[in-house]
Formats: sequence, structure tokens, C-alpha cells
Amino acid sequence: MPDVTFIRNKIVTVEVHNEKTLLARGLLADDIYGLEIKVYIDTTGMTIHALEGQWNRWTTPECHRAIEELHRAVGACILDSDFSQKIKKTVGRLSCRHFANLLLECCDSAREAAELPIKPLEKTAAPASAESPAAHAAAPQPDRRLNPETVEASVASTPAPEHSRPPKTQNAPATLREAGGCILDLHLHSYPASPCSSASVDDLIREAKRIGLDGICLTDHHHRWDRDSLARLSKTHDFLVLGGNEVTTDQGDILVFGAEKDFPGIVTIQELREQAGPEAFLIAAHPFRGFLTFGIGRLGLTPEKAMQRTLFRYVDAVEVLNGKVTEKENAFSRKVADALHLPATGGSDAHEVSEVGLYATHFEAAIQNEAELLAALRSGRFQPVVFRVNPSPA
Amino acid sequence: MGHLLIFSRNRSTVVERISSECMKSSCVLRDTFIDALVEVTVELPDLEITQVNHQVRRWKHPVGPEAEEMLQHAIGVRIGPGMLKIIQGLGGNQQRFRELFFMLEECCQAIILSFTKEVLVQSPRPTDADASRAFYNEMVRENIRLYNRCAAFAPGSPLVEGIDIEGNGAENS
Repeated sequence: MPDVTFIRNKIVTVEVHNEKTLLARGLLADDIYGLEIKVYIDTTGMTIHALEGQWNRWTTPECHRAIEELHRAVGACILDSDFSQKIKKTVGRLSCRHFANLLLECCDSAREAAELPIKPLEKTAAPASAESPAAHAAAPQPDRRLNPETVEASVASTPAPEHSRPPKTQNAPATLREAGGCILDLHLHSYPASPCSSASVDDLIREAKRIGLDGICLTDHHHRWDRDSLARLSKTHDFLVLGGNEVTTDQGDILVFGAEKDFPGIVTIQELREQAGPEAFLIAAHPFRGFLTFGIGRLGLTPEKAMQRTLFRYVDAVEVLNGKVTEKENAFSRKVADALHLPATGGSDAHEVSEVGLYATHFEAAIQNEAELLAALRSGRFQPVVFRVNPSPA
Repeated sequence: MGHLLIFSRNRSTVVERISSECMKSSCVLRDTFIDALVEVTVELPDLEITQVNHQVRRWKHPVGPEAEEMLQHAIGVRIGPGMLKIIQGLGGNQQRFRELFFMLEECCQAIILSFTKEVLVQSPRPTDADASRAFYNEMVRENIRLYNRCAAFAPGSPLVEGIDIEGNGAENS
């Protein structure tokens, strides 16, 4: 008899609160959390004009902080095509993702309810046909009582995280420098090419140059920098700037170097390997990110078992030092790469200027351009390195 | 009209441990328009999706074999950070199947929460505030991605006091 290990129930109801307002009530109760939410939606613009949240059961003594942050959703229009992303980005990150999840469920239900022929409900914003949900996004946007940019503005006005690292001056260990070759950060994200980054490409380059890296590779998500732009950046900053990109596959993220093709959407790892071309060099980026969240012992994952993943049949190297994962996850990647006899790289995965060069890759050969980078990668004569050691305030 | 409901939705998600190497997560959705089930089978220990099944008993429009084909794209995906981006990406712009893919997400989230529950069982009683703070502080240190992921773990919260997130990578190498 199978054991039930988790149960979650969600109930959402929608009623006509008054002639201009729908009231959606949501209740989430599972083995861990208990929470409720009331969402008042203005039917003339389908905007959230008020909401209330309540904890019934929670996990940490600070969960109550989430309630105040819920109000960031006020003013958002539930018909906007990016409404769900906005809520996940604001309410989910700054309040609580379980409240965000329930709020989205309430708003989706209200949207469905707006399609029903209920007389007191003004249907100015409802889509024309229940047969085509896509019409939601295509429907003309109604006037909004509240500023539709409220949610976006609340994100923009959020203070930068206090953990931003101050500039540092210490560079790679002297022994690496004595060994010759060059040190490149192979994994960086710039804004706006990667919306998740907060660092401009110029700032990233200036910082990389300042801390003593020999060059960087811009690996924005599903975005390839064209050669002319890279050459301009290199010339402007008198610094080596090369390109790659980070492509999401069904087997996780892959750093791609030397591909002529763009990969705007998610592909399978097999498709990526086939379509990137024989010249391309593929690196499994942070392959065990989150794998060990619950501890190796809890899930019983061993390097021997992990190395059987389909992923490793298609990549040329493994990123074993990544700035966005834990020590254990990096160490686990290293074990798997070693067991598979795959070469290993390091990269900061920087999304902020202060993260540039946390980790990097030391190449035995000097590298001046993309062709030399690809040759150096194929040679296997490189190793991951800790570059920004012993961070300390400026 | 009074306060009669014009729409209601019930969604229930259940995770079962089938064996030491297999878990199953099912999401049932019943609302004014839809009555459907999505079921995901996951292999341990790497939490890879090995099977996806669905049943549609009532829907707003016909759901043909295309839905089955789309959902099968999730086979091979590993449950963990980044999975939502992958699942949503594999679903593409298929608005017709939006709800089915959301049910798939719910199944995957529930698998993660079933493990979270195992960890939380060890947490101190809420009445012991100091021990409780220390427990969650250690949890963030062990799972640094929790830092600044919600109001409870945001900078300024006592639960993350003394955590140098930026030093994590360098210290750990």
C-alpha cells in the first residue's frame, strides 16, 4: 500500500461583491501551510483594487512579514499577458510564493467567472469567447482605475539586496599567474539581454578588468551576441570579450560556445547537440543545482547514479565551480565530472557586478579570440579556479 | 443575487511513495468548466519524471491527442530548481493546454514540498523562539537559494542574520 507523503487542497470561490466588483476568496491548506486570501477585482478594468491575506498555519516565526508585501499586487490588471510573471516576481519573491500561487489561482478563477453570463457583472473586459482562452491576451485593454505600472514600479523601487558585495582587490593566486596562459570567467549574465541580471555589460567588463581577469564570455540566456558587438566591446574597453550563451534544455542549462544558431526556446538536449553543430562546445552548467537541497543521504543520490544522467552523454565538459550553487553541489559536480573523465570549468554565473570572477577557468594557452577559445576548450588543457578569494570590504 | 457563488474551483494534489525508488504525484481539478487529472511518476533518487498521465472528463473545448503528446515532453525533466521554466517552455504557447501544464507544475511542486515537510518535522516548536530562529538560519545557510526568496528570509529578517551570502561560493571552494 503506497504511503501518502503530502496533500494540498485549494478552494477558490468567486462571487459578485457589488455591481463593479468581484470578490475571489482562496483557501490553501496542505501538510505545511494554511493560508487564506480575499481579492477584490474591479470589473471595469479587471484590476486588483484591494486584497487581504491571512495565515492560519505557517512555518517560520517571520512568515507574518509576508502579509504587508501582498499589497504590491494592488493595481495589477489580471488580463495583462505578463500578469502571472509580475505576481511571481513581486508577491512571490518579496512576500511569499504560496500566497502568490493562491493569488494567481483566485485571479484566474475571477477571469473565468467574468466569462459567465451573470447579469450584475459588467463584462467590459471579458474575452469574447470561452472557446479561446488566448483571446484574454488579445482583448483590447480597458481603462484602468489604478496605475498598471504599480507592480513593476514596486520592483524597481525595491532597494538592492543588502548582500551586494563591495568591490575587492584581491586577484587570482600568484601560482596561477606564474603558470602563464589566461584566466577567463566563462559564465556571466548582462542586462537587458538576460532580464534576470542587474548588471550592464559595460559595468561587467569594467569590473572584470579591474579585478585582473584576462577576459570574459557573455553567456546570456537564449541570447547570442553578434561578433561585431563583441569586437566593439573589446575595442572600447581594451579587454577580451567573447560570446556564448546559456540554453535551457529538458536536462537543465547548458553553456554553448561556437554555435552559429540561436536557440530562442527550450529544446531537448539531443536537439541542442544536433543543431548546435559539430564545432560547438557544450558545458553542463551547474548540473546539480538544487539536487542536494534535502541532503545526499535523504535521497540516496550517489555520483555513480548521477553520472548515468542522459545529460552527460551530450556535453563536452562540466561546470564544477559555479557561483550560484552550494559547496556541496559544486563538490558533487566535481566528483561526477571526474568519474566521467569529462573536463571541468568554472564560472561566476554573475548577475551582479560584484559577483564577477567569483570563479573562473584557467587555460594553459593564451586566448585572443573565439577560435582560440574553442581550440583551448577542445584541448582539455584548462581547470576551474577560485578567482575572487577571501572577499573583504573595500 | 445576494452572495451566491458564480464560480468555484477545487484543486487537490496528493503525493504517494510507491516504493523506495518511485513516487507518484496527482493533481485533480474540478471547477465550473473543467474536471481533469494529471499524474506524474518520478524516479528516485534524482527525481526524474518517468511517466505523465492525464484524464480529461470535462473541458471547455475538445482536448485531443495533442495534449497527451505535449505532456509527454516533460518525461526526462528533473524536479528541482529551474523545472518550472523548463515545463513552461516545453508547453510552448499552447494556451489551450495551459491548465494541464499548470496541473503538471502543481504535481512537481508537491513532490518538493513532500521533502520540505520531512525537513520541517525536525524544526523546534514555535514557542522556542531562539531555537526556531537558529534552525531556520542554519537551513538558509545549507540552502543558500532560500536567501531573499520570500519575506521571511529577506535581508533584515532575524532568520538570515549573520549570513554572508556573497562569501558562500568562495568560502566553500
